[in-house]
Amino acid sequence: MRPVRGMRIVAALAVGGLALSAAACGDAPDENNNAGGGGAKPASKYTACMVTDIGGIDDKSFNASAWAGIQEAAKEQTNIDPKYVASSSEQDYEPNLNQFVNQKCNFILAVGGLMADATKKVALAHPDQQFGIVDSVIPEASNVFPMQFDTAQAAFLAGYLAAGYSKTGKVATYGGLPIPPVTIFMDGFADGVAYYNQQKGKNVQVLGWDKAKQNGSFAQSFTEQAKGKAISDTFVAQGADVIMPVAGGTGLGTAAAAQQSGGKYSVIWVDQDGCNSAAQYCSTFLSTVVKNIKDAVKEAVVKGAKGEKLDASAGFIGTLANNGVSLAPFHEFDSKVPAELKSELDQVKQDIISGKIKVTSPAQPK
Amino acid sequence: MSTATVDDLTAVAEVRKFWTRDRKAGLVFTVLGVVAMGWFGALAPAETARFTLSEDASGAALEINGQLGAVLFGAIAAAAGVGLLTGAARRWLGQLMGLGIVCFVLSFLCWQVAGKFMPLVDTAAGSLELALPLILGAMAGVLCERSGVVNVAIEGQFLMGAFGAALVGTLAANAWFGLLGALVGGLIIAALLAVLSIRYLVDQVVAGIVLNLLALGLTGFLYERLMQTDAAKYNEPPQLPTWRIPGLAEIPVLGPVVFDTNPLVYLALALVVIIHFGLSRTRWGLRTRAVGEHPTAADTVGIRVLGTRWRNVLVAGLVAGAGGAYFTEVATGSFNKNMTSGAGFIALAALIFGRWTPVGAFGAALFFGFANKLATYLSATGSSVPSQFLNMLPYVATIIAVAGLVGRVRAPAADGKPYVKG
Repeated sequence: MRPVRGMRIVAALAVGGLALSAAACGDAPDENNNAGGGGAKPASKYTACMVTDIGGIDDKSFNASAWAGIQEAAKEQTNIDPKYVASSSEQDYEPNLNQFVNQKCNFILAVGGLMADATKKVALAHPDQQFGIVDSVIPEASNVFPMQFDTAQAAFLAGYLAAGYSKTGKVATYGGLPIPPVTIFMDGFADGVAYYNQQKGKNVQVLGWDKAKQNGSFAQSFTEQAKGKAISDTFVAQGADVIMPVAGGTGLGTAAAAQQSGGKYSVIWVDQDGCNSAAQYCSTFLSTVVKNIKDAVKEAVVKGAKGEKLDASAGFIGTLANNGVSLAPFHEFDSKVPAELKSELDQVKQDIISGKIKVTSPAQPK
Repeated sequence: MSTATVDDLTAVAEVRKFWTRDRKAGLVFTVLGVVAMGWFGALAPAETARFTLSEDASGAALEINGQLGAVLFGAIAAAAGVGLLTGAARRWLGQLMGLGIVCFVLSFLCWQVAGKFMPLVDTAAGSLELALPLILGAMAGVLCERSGVVNVAIEGQFLMGAFGAALVGTLAANAWFGLLGALVGGLIIAALLAVLSIRYLVDQVVAGIVLNLLALGLTGFLYERLMQTDAAKYNEPPQLPTWRIPGLAEIPVLGPVVFDTNPLVYLALALVVIIHFGLSRTRWGLRTRAVGEHPTAADTVGIRVLGTRWRNVLVAGLVAGAGGAYFTEVATGSFNKNMTSGAGFIALAALIFGRWTPVGAFGAALFFGFANKLATYLSATGSSVPSQFLNMLPYVATIIAVAGLVGRVRAPAADGKPYVKG
């Protein structure tokens, strides 16, 4: 009897564990209570449905900003009814998208380039359904509105800032995985440093990324903070005093280590202003390369709700000019960044907007 | 006629015996040494490779011409291999294998560091820090498995430990209470493992996997629903302090690495020594090994098999829980979903690599730590080796080592087998 009872306990524990992890990434309890009953009066309602990436809704990064954008849109246009479903694995993308098609959502947003294949498949099967995708473009499907970001432009500014701010003449960057949404930051960063060297006749070195060879340091993880710390320690030992991690949660290891080091080096954060999304480390953030997913999503949803057409061929490409990407304020470093460097950064920004400086990256949206 | 037949037989027997373990190892090292001499030596620029005795570029350094070093150390590795291959030096198998590995790595380093510098203190400290959770996890594995309980749940114990440390440490605003929380977290999973595998005789691997799932689900759920809501209140644990041992910390390289570090390092090193001597020299160790190898015989002579297993599994939970504290109280300052990222399974691999002995597992964990740190160093300094290959390095090295050098690996005989009296 004992082994049988044992297997029952095991089964209960297994189901419990799986249920808890499912519950953790499931629907937020209060935000979409009205979603269920909303089906009865569809005429005036515009349902905006979002499928998250595996990062979940609280990833402090692009899923969170996309959801914030939809919620702000709902505040502006009261007929918008927001809901979301979280993907706990890559196998969930397609069923989650199909589920929203069946629920007759007006607008289905897929967040993240990893979802491109699933979105393409579902969108081609339902040509009358309006979709949107962040960080990718699907040329074959005219019903998918792409929202992309030329983050290399803002990362260029960050590279210039890092090079100008560095005392040791060495700055560093590393990524989570060698994929285009990550390497585009690193390309821009390296170019910004190179531009600074060219302008000033200096020789500031970039550790961790070789743009020409497209080869550099990667943590192979977006969650492993210990790896982030190990990489940063190595950079610091090599003499770097500004580090830009493009690695989601892994980058928090760099921020924590920078805080423990007592100001030995500073960090440039990415995606969302670090002083808001990871506020406990604000004292280490020199600045942030911001990718303004929130406003892009908000704009698209509001436009859709007003009945305007979302033109897939034009799409949305976030640049410095339309504030889709930007360099965040310096916060606690404001007094430490020389005024001269600040005005130079403004000039570089204007030059990029006017096209005087061309920022290029193989990972750029075309 | 008859004598000839006998001669033939002995000849055949000798041929079969020719490829002994030390000859195989010798062949491997000869090839590696020649590769190092030819390949690394040819590629290495003839510039100085500096190995500084500090955390950065400053201070005294060991210097060698990169090309010369690559060829020289490759030659030593090859010589060690030839010595083993000819059978001339089989008495020093262990020493020569160690020399071969070290010289091969040095040859590789001379090639990669030529024209640059490698800070030895940072490299050693980084290796030890990356190895720290693996050491504690592997010790937990040794305690469990030597008494006959397979511990696949190290990963779950790490996660619960890391979570417990973050939560309790933040609430109490004290790193030591955090460590206590980590111990409790590890203990909970260990107690469940013990109940399932000892009391209810469930397949221990299945139980371990399920407990990992439970730990992942539970900590993920509490993280999203509790910690996320107010990070300052629940998820900002204070860090463990650094203890500096006066005098010993002045030793070059070794001092700052081993004697000026966090308490978990001291704990891990002490545990390796204690478990090593405990297993081989004490009554507890003898009983543990008896229970793990032949529980029926142990029971016959009056050893409480189940009691011994319970005790070992619970103590292992405490050790792995302390390993979990590393993630939130040493490496970083906050808990994150699935932040251990499979370290528990690497610890398990270190345990097997180290042939279920505390010292062997310790060495294997250090080796993993070093390979990881080396990959980080090489990619940071812009090595010509692609980063994907560098990240593969620890695992490739493990496969080579396990396949060729460790020899036959034998688990405790009763490992994974539930014991039923009578």
